[in-house]
Amino acid sequence: MLGPGVAWYAALAGFLFGTGALGVLIRRNVLIVLLSLEIMLNGANLALIAFSRHAGNGAGQIFALAVMAVAASEVCVGLGLVVALHRRRLAIDVDRLSELRG
Amino acid sequence: MIAASWLCLFAPLAGTILILLGGTRISRVAAGWISTVSVFVAFAGAVGAFVGLHGESNRAGTISTAWTWLQSGSFKVELSVLIDPLSTMMMLIVSGVGALIVLYSIGYMDGDDEERRYFAYMSLFVFSMLMLVEGGNLLLLLVGWGLVGLSSYLLIGFWHERPSAIRAAKKAFVMNAFGDATMALAFFVLIAHSGSLAFSTSFATAGQLSQTTVDLVALGLLGGAAAKSAQIPLQTWLPDAMEGPTPVSALIHAATMVTAGVYLIARTYPIFEQARTIELIAAGTGALTLLVAGLIALVQTDIKRVIAYSTMSQIGYMFLGAGVGGYANGMFHLMTHAFFKALLFMGAGLVIHALADEQDIRKMRGIGALMPFTKWCFLAGALALVGVPPFSGFFSKDPIVASTINLGWYGWVFWACGVVGAFLTGVYTFRLWFLVFPGEPSELVRRHFGRHSTTATDGLDGGPLHADGQGTQRHGEGPWTMLVPVGVLAVLATFGGWIQFPPHWEYVTNWLRPVAPTLAVAVPTSTQESVTSVVVVLAGLAGIALAWAIYGTERVSVPGVPGLRRLLEHKFYFDELYDALFYRPAAAVSSLARRDFEEQVVLPTGPDLGQTALDAGGLVRRLQTGLLRTYVLFLAGGAAVIGLVFLVTR
Repeated sequence: MLGPGVAWYAALAGFLFGTGALGVLIRRNVLIVLLSLEIMLNGANLALIAFSRHAGNGAGQIFALAVMAVAASEVCVGLGLVVALHRRRLAIDVDRLSELRG
Repeated sequence: MIAASWLCLFAPLAGTILILLGGTRISRVAAGWISTVSVFVAFAGAVGAFVGLHGESNRAGTISTAWTWLQSGSFKVELSVLIDPLSTMMMLIVSGVGALIVLYSIGYMDGDDEERRYFAYMSLFVFSMLMLVEGGNLLLLLVGWGLVGLSSYLLIGFWHERPSAIRAAKKAFVMNAFGDATMALAFFVLIAHSGSLAFSTSFATAGQLSQTTVDLVALGLLGGAAAKSAQIPLQTWLPDAMEGPTPVSALIHAATMVTAGVYLIARTYPIFEQARTIELIAAGTGALTLLVAGLIALVQTDIKRVIAYSTMSQIGYMFLGAGVGGYANGMFHLMTHAFFKALLFMGAGLVIHALADEQDIRKMRGIGALMPFTKWCFLAGALALVGVPPFSGFFSKDPIVASTINLGWYGWVFWACGVVGAFLTGVYTFRLWFLVFPGEPSELVRRHFGRHSTTATDGLDGGPLHADGQGTQRHGEGPWTMLVPVGVLAVLATFGGWIQFPPHWEYVTNWLRPVAPTLAVAVPTSTQESVTSVVVVLAGLAGIALAWAIYGTERVSVPGVPGLRRLLEHKFYFDELYDALFYRPAAAVSSLARRDFEEQVVLPTGPDLGQTALDAGGLVRRLQTGLLRTYVLFLAGGAAVIGLVFLVTR
């Protein structure tokens, strides 16, 4: 097998996932949260492809394509929400958008 | 024949569904016509089935199966219809009389706010009754049984703003539920022993059961029949059921539903013949009811209640006929009774409609002069009811009384009951006729048919005045949708009995012989038949004469026996008895439980469960902070926990 071992890829994927997760938990701006979500998804994709190459099985790569499709649609929905929020002059701040509470 | 039977069964259901789906998009009159057409289509299907079966050489009955409905181990129930002489006879009666009554309802219920609901219920009822008579196994019969009880409840309580109507509907439903329960228990016993509810297997097993078991099964079936047909001791719901609209009383509580008990006995006769004692108890119940109802009818002042008690009494005759073993006699009386009883109810409806919902016969004198068509049709129905030849009741009632002769000492008791019942029938029926129709119009009648009035809106040219004060331009006694069915039924009530005149020609008995053969002991000799006929007719005529003397010409005054009168007016105190037996103890126990147990013991000592639940809910509520971060944190935390668990257990 050429190139770095699968462990390096897995570590990078984990790092990307962690960064994205941290971004989702910590940041207040909705756009940044969506961005962090994308980073998480990319981390997962990387892990899938790495393990697929390591195992010689194409299934992981196919699944990664499916994940990309889902990510794209989810971004559409998320950005649509942001545009709707902006139209209503609401704050683009996750801490301020808390009306759905018990 | 098979397609016709399925059409007959499902046409009214299609009518109901159409009306329900149409909702307020269809007009009220359209709903009425959808319902009427659907029931006429059902009648066409019934005729088709009858003609088809007529052409068959083997008339034991065909079962046509659509699909398997229930299957549990070896217990299998299919959705099937049974086409045999008994079911086609009932199909014709139910759909034929039903179609006429639904047509009549178009005129009667005209202007009611909730007409569409009414017609949906009527179609539902016709479908349920057809399911009951056409069902290919006992379970489908029970389904139809329950559905007619439901339709009856819905239709009795149709004018749901009236508390009395709601109470009556509940009473009818609860009493019928008691009967349903006993029937279900009987079916459980049958399933336990034979593993099937198909007619053939159930009847075959009946022969193999021990005497007590088959007695219990028959008793359960009799309980259901007595509840549905308003026989003693489950009869108190029927007079109260008159709270429903008059066409409902005509269809459900005279012509069809209340006769389901008689049909059940005829259908399950193999079981009853194994349990002969129970069958004779059924006959005895019929005999007792026909007397009690006849007596109570003598003092009723509501026109519909007189006819209701008459129904109860005539079904007593049917039970008597079927119980002694003359199933064809009972079924034939069912048929003629459907004709003349529906006629009487619809005639009463014409009168009630003309007098703006007045139902007290003491105020109705002399309406015959202003409503001649109604008067003559009602007279035809009354003569048929009393059993005067050549009207239909004569042909059907006398064989029933004659069939009791060869039974033994109790046969003679039944015979006597039948004769006395005929006398009472003459008295109460013609008491009703003489009080309502002939003579000088009473003040109420004149007010409604008034020619000259100072108000701007009044009836012109002697037509009836409607409840809303608007005069009608019609000269007739009602719209054609009400008059035509009454006319048709008057013809049927007059001539419908001529198809059977034992022992000369017996079309009905022969038709039913493959499926409901008359027991030998219930066949009287020619002489017995003739003598009984003469005695019963004389008794009926004597009753008419007495009614004429008291109410027609007022030569004789009503005999005053205050105690007896009070007993009859309170309907033999059955309602008070059931109140004391069932309601009072239950109410006492529940208030005792609340006062002494709940308030003293449970509430002070136990934790306040309600408040605890509320507090727990409040705690959980704090998890819903509304902040996105909290939710994501929980997600991430949960995922981490699952990941850890996976790692640890691997």
